[in-house]
Amino acid sequence: MPPGRLHPLTADIREIARIFATMGFGIAYGPELEDEWHNFDALRVPADHPARDMQDTFWTNEEPRRAPRTHTTSVSVRCLEDMAKEGKTEGRMIIPSKVFRNEATDSTHEAQFYQLDGFAVGPVGSVTLAHLKGTFDRFYREYLGEGVQVRFRPSFFPFVEPGVEMDVWYEAPGKEGRWLEVGGAGMLHPDVIQNAGLDPKEVAGFAFGGGIERLLMIKYGIPDVRAFHNGDIRFVYGFDQSLT
Amino acid sequence: MAISMKTSRKWLQGYFEKELPAAEAIADALTFSVAEVEEAKGDLIDVNILPDRAAYMLSHRGVAMEISAALDLPLSHDPLKETLPTFPETDRVLVTLDEDGKCARYIGALIEGVKVGPSPDWLKEALEAVGQRSINNVVDATNYVMLDIGQPLHAFDAAKLTAREGGYAITVRASEAEESITTLTGETYALPEGTLLIADGNADGRPLGIAGVKGSIEAAVTEKTVDLLIEAASFGGTAVRKTAQALKLFTDASSRFQNKPSPALAGYGMAHVIELILKVAGGKLVGVTDVFPNPPEPRTASVSLARINEILGASFAADDVRGAFNRLGFSYTEVEDTFIVLAPFERNDIEIAEDLAEEVGRSLGYDALESKELALLEGVPAQERFRGIEAVRDFLVERGFSEISTPSFASEGEIELANPLQSDRPYLRASLIANLKDALTRAAGVAPRVLGPAPFVKLFEVGTVFTKHGEALLLSMGVVAIGGKPAQAAEALKENVAALEQDLLQIPAAAHFTLDGQMMELNLGKLNLEKLGEEYAPISAHMNAYTPFSLYPSALRDIAVWTLEGTEESEVANAIVSQAGDHLARIDLFDRFEKDGRTSYAFRLVFESRERTLADTDLDPAMERVTDTLNKKEGWEVR
Repeated sequence: MPPGRLHPLTADIREIARIFATMGFGIAYGPELEDEWHNFDALRVPADHPARDMQDTFWTNEEPRRAPRTHTTSVSVRCLEDMAKEGKTEGRMIIPSKVFRNEATDSTHEAQFYQLDGFAVGPVGSVTLAHLKGTFDRFYREYLGEGVQVRFRPSFFPFVEPGVEMDVWYEAPGKEGRWLEVGGAGMLHPDVIQNAGLDPKEVAGFAFGGGIERLLMIKYGIPDVRAFHNGDIRFVYGFDQSLT
Repeated sequence: MAISMKTSRKWLQGYFEKELPAAEAIADALTFSVAEVEEAKGDLIDVNILPDRAAYMLSHRGVAMEISAALDLPLSHDPLKETLPTFPETDRVLVTLDEDGKCARYIGALIEGVKVGPSPDWLKEALEAVGQRSINNVVDATNYVMLDIGQPLHAFDAAKLTAREGGYAITVRASEAEESITTLTGETYALPEGTLLIADGNADGRPLGIAGVKGSIEAAVTEKTVDLLIEAASFGGTAVRKTAQALKLFTDASSRFQNKPSPALAGYGMAHVIELILKVAGGKLVGVTDVFPNPPEPRTASVSLARINEILGASFAADDVRGAFNRLGFSYTEVEDTFIVLAPFERNDIEIAEDLAEEVGRSLGYDALESKELALLEGVPAQERFRGIEAVRDFLVERGFSEISTPSFASEGEIELANPLQSDRPYLRASLIANLKDALTRAAGVAPRVLGPAPFVKLFEVGTVFTKHGEALLLSMGVVAIGGKPAQAAEALKENVAALEQDLLQIPAAAHFTLDGQMMELNLGKLNLEKLGEEYAPISAHMNAYTPFSLYPSALRDIAVWTLEGTEESEVANAIVSQAGDHLARIDLFDRFEKDGRTSYAFRLVFESRERTLADTDLDPAMERVTDTLNKKEGWEVR
């Protein structure tokens, strides 16, 4: 019998993991069903923040309630907490895993998708916004190809300051190049470092996040995000796949 | 999360002496220095304001300030830096704040003798340019000032309030149980208890408006209005947001208050609206009552040059920083290499050193940052657990299993959502089996098209399940035999699971099989995945562009042909493909044997269209052409 197929997300997460490994990033895991502290409070998303509304976040009917995590930055918080316990001041992790958002689905929105969140921290001054740019310049060049450029635009996420939106310039095969929004990032807010039990006077770094399906949609020309998680093998076999 | 601020280039131009560039150029400057522009066309520039800047940028003045900083064009005047006029106080407006902390400031002004009517053209045009409807000169004046400097304002018809000895009483209070209000636009809302209200203190607290959201129709300004009670207040952002949310009533006022603009802004709002009303509607200001129990202290934030460069990874000079702060209109002092910035009162986002580093970074442009590579770390990055999981996947793919991904929401489970997306899937899955079963059934239906004449479809999924005892990472595997024979499928699954346990995991992994034995799941979390991954390098999978299968069902035709001994399979296949037409999607050999010096080949042809379901009338002519061609070959004969 011929070999089967890896799910396209699996195939590309391997590539993502490989590229980040060359830059010293490990892969972290954490709960998909998360408590409010790790998903929101520790990340400075206050109790009255719109993101915590029922129409943006799924909630369990437990007491206390938990949320299917809305990003995997919740795992970054857990990693930073572990670093604090172990007395470490340096660490780099990516968390390429499933997240959930309570929103209407269409060809570009799914209620469950994969996100590539992560962080790099180190002694103050060793991990800066310029290093964030360098990290993603390299990542996108290796993942999408040499012609890729990365640019930052000012943005806002409660857990970073400064906060930026990342765009990449990408020329899909046979198409004109254009700037694509690929994720948010920034320097971890000192409160977040503090919330994890680390000292913001000693430790600083960046955090980032963005959808993974979107990257594959750009790279392989997949028109509809809903194809990823519907269990249909016609999606998995919609690519020629060679294993090496 | 972003709030749209529609601005007019003409309106913004009023803040500059020099001619502004075209809307598109302004949009570019804003996008790379402060906020994304949703649309820029002609006179309109629609800016997406994120929460951190909403306290000052939901206004033409705020956007003008940012354009000034981005393009280094000085503002001709800044209303928020001008000295406020001193208005006469009046005892004819009494203000009582009942709710501690939910209203930081309330300014009431009494204007008598206005003439309500249509607005002058310039005012109408300004509002219409940003998508607002002109109502009358008084209401338009309040809206104009709000859109100009960001302070929500409200005008009541004073005659519709109860006067006592010529005076009016405004009370800010929480609603009691079962109160309701009919708003200016005629909709009636039942108010949740505790909703912050503006009430008539001379009429037992009769509601006049929902604080920070919308006024009541009972005190509406109309053509007949002569005396006005004007409100400029600072309502608590959290309270306003909760109310807007509960009533599903989101207004220009509520979107501003929920972002907590400075209570100082209310003073500027009042000064501007009094001036504008007197100008466009006449009348005379009687006086103002300003209740402002705890004016905030001016705030400072400091940052050193070294710290800015440490955060940004830049090597900016002190002059670069001075330039950025000057363009942003910050006043600051320098003590050695530290900048002590007096945050402009409207900038509630300036609190810590990092906030100032962001101001410098965005002002000098993130393009100016060079890319720096992170220093190498000692040791190997921790990816063992990941590689352990990938080892399981690779093992299965090598044995013909294909991977699927399915939804985490389920019709059955142990953890229920309070707000499921679909009411028939309210649970988080406690097992992967139901989705696997469904996927196997669907896969069997499309197998001839996707897999060709394979005897089995073999699928697996690695996914998280959720139970009362916690969550677990499970592996599910399933096999279905094409054309029946469930026992064979069960046998194939059993063999593969045994191989997984013995050859890869090297321990019995306690797989749970379904009753028919065709599906199973096991808990990967109980295995030592880190150890499994220690020495493992996952296989690289290279893929090309996605070519979706047709959404329409495929159709099958089999054809068998005798050929002369020694005829290659490819010769027969090519002959078929050349005649089968554009709808042929795949061709697979499923039988070959030799007899009496001849070789028989049997092929399965799969046809499909991207536009429609194919009918016999499509397939029969194609098969006739194929049959004719094969029969014409020397010594060949279609069976």
